Amino acid sequence: MAMVDYDGEEFRNARKEMDGLVEKSLEGRELRPNVIFAKLAEITKSAAVTKDMIRWSRQNSVWPMQFGLACCAMELMDFGSARVDAERKGYLLFRGTPRQCDVMVVAGWVTKSMIPEIKRLYEQMSSPKYVVSYGECATCGGPWFESYNIIKGIDQVLPVDVYVAGCPPRPESLFAALIKLQKKIGGEIED
Amino acid sequence: MAITRINIGPVHPSTHGVLRLVVDLDGDMIERVETHIGFLHRGVEKLVETRMYMQSPAYMEKLDYVAPLSYDEAYVAVVEKALGIEVKERAQYARVILLELQRIASHLLWLGTMCNDLGQMFTVFMWSFKDRDMVLKLLEEASGNRMFYVNVRLGGLQRELPPDFEAQTLEVMDYMEKRTAEYERYIERNPVFMERMKGVGVLSSKDAKDLGVTGPVLRASGVEYDVRKNNPYYVYENLHFSMKSQEKGDNFSRYRVRIMEIKESIRLIREAFGRMPASGDMAGMPIRLRSPEPVNKVSKLSRELPRGECLMYMVADPQKPYRLSIRSPSFINLAALSHIAKGQRLADLFAILGSLDLVMGCVDR
Repeated sequence: MAMVDYDGEEFRNARKEMDGLVEKSLEGRELRPNVIFAKLAEITKSAAVTKDMIRWSRQNSVWPMQFGLACCAMELMDFGSARVDAERKGYLLFRGTPRQCDVMVVAGWVTKSMIPEIKRLYEQMSSPKYVVSYGECATCGGPWFESYNIIKGIDQVLPVDVYVAGCPPRPESLFAALIKLQKKIGGEIED
Repeated sequence: MAITRINIGPVHPSTHGVLRLVVDLDGDMIERVETHIGFLHRGVEKLVETRMYMQSPAYMEKLDYVAPLSYDEAYVAVVEKALGIEVKERAQYARVILLELQRIASHLLWLGTMCNDLGQMFTVFMWSFKDRDMVLKLLEEASGNRMFYVNVRLGGLQRELPPDFEAQTLEVMDYMEKRTAEYERYIERNPVFMERMKGVGVLSSKDAKDLGVTGPVLRASGVEYDVRKNNPYYVYENLHFSMKSQEKGDNFSRYRVRIMEIKESIRLIREAFGRMPASGDMAGMPIRLRSPEPVNKVSKLSRELPRGECLMYMVADPQKPYRLSIRSPSFINLAALSHIAKGQRLADLFAILGSLDLVMGCVDR
């Protein structure tokens, strides 16, 4: 691989070309092309391959956020521990800040006082971002459907990509859900 | 010097749930900690009033999701008291075994997250979760679910323990005993752990009594109080239960109490299996639409949960509770936080918070 002159004319042209390519290839997705993408385009010289590579890299580095609300967070912790070994599929350690995360796993019931906080966290995540609704409470209110302080599903507030049923779902279910999310990112399954 | 006010939470990696803290700092020293709770409030006590007696255990388990079975059992016990139902002897032993297993699982989770809070001692987290999983597997064998068991029925348990449960449990207990020694060896030689635990967050025994804290936090301050000993229930009287306490009341004492409680629980489980009557029935009443009429209008009882003393107070109506009031240990222990943290460094705040072992679901109800 040849070294790239980042100040040269060549790079700027490639970058410009890539901007157009990426915007065209990933319509509807919020995405800012950057240096890596430009480099990718330069190496591959093909929009389709570049798109695939971007998707592939995105697909295989799904980083969840360390954000537990209630009971399901216990299973979330178990998901991060040795038995499930989530890292082998690219779900790296749980990150403490939303800015480093790709996926928010909403684990637990959502109270009215938590809605603004969750919204803010979601806004702080960098695009593209995904939401997994983990467990009955986050999906539909669960056993608290008659409670005065619970909203019946996180999908009233955020766009949800994958739902997981169970009270609480086993850590393996989260694994399955993230594999599904990966397929979704890779374009293997439709929304 | 000027006071700096910083906000922590409600979503923070170290608050173990959704807790918001507003901290006033003088330099690096904490002047005042204000706790804002209620981010998980869902009105359990009110919901229970609209449910039949035996529909509620599922709600109770979600109060303290680190040790669900303990709350489940406490609630069913207060209903048994109200309805005047005796618990079969074999079922009493089985309940004690399951409760102690739950205590081990809860303390192991605490140990893992605590070490994680103290600067990424991730090894302990991995170890303790692996061990906790073995205990959860036993509870799953006994009840059918991994985390929420809803296993306790009026007068007994949902069903007989599986035939090879005893052998399996004793095997795991042997393993756990070795592991506990290993934890001690590993943790207590770690300078990071010792620096941040020893002498930090001291709660004197007088303050502990005044603030009303219970459980390991109280016993770490040198007050000998354990419901299992002072007001024994089930077969704790027959078992040779010895209370574990420490003198100093700092973070390290709280850790020591929990580690010793794990060992004591292992011993209790072994003893309970030895004394459990071989014959007899442990199945309780199946869940029916109508439960028996209540005998006592007002009934209350206290239980030693992994986090402290839980008091259940129930005013009974036919078929459903008129009012259920819960004294949750986490809520009372949280109140001690601002007291302990005053005058400590900001970096120690999470060590103190972690050592109190709070579950926010139990605080907010």
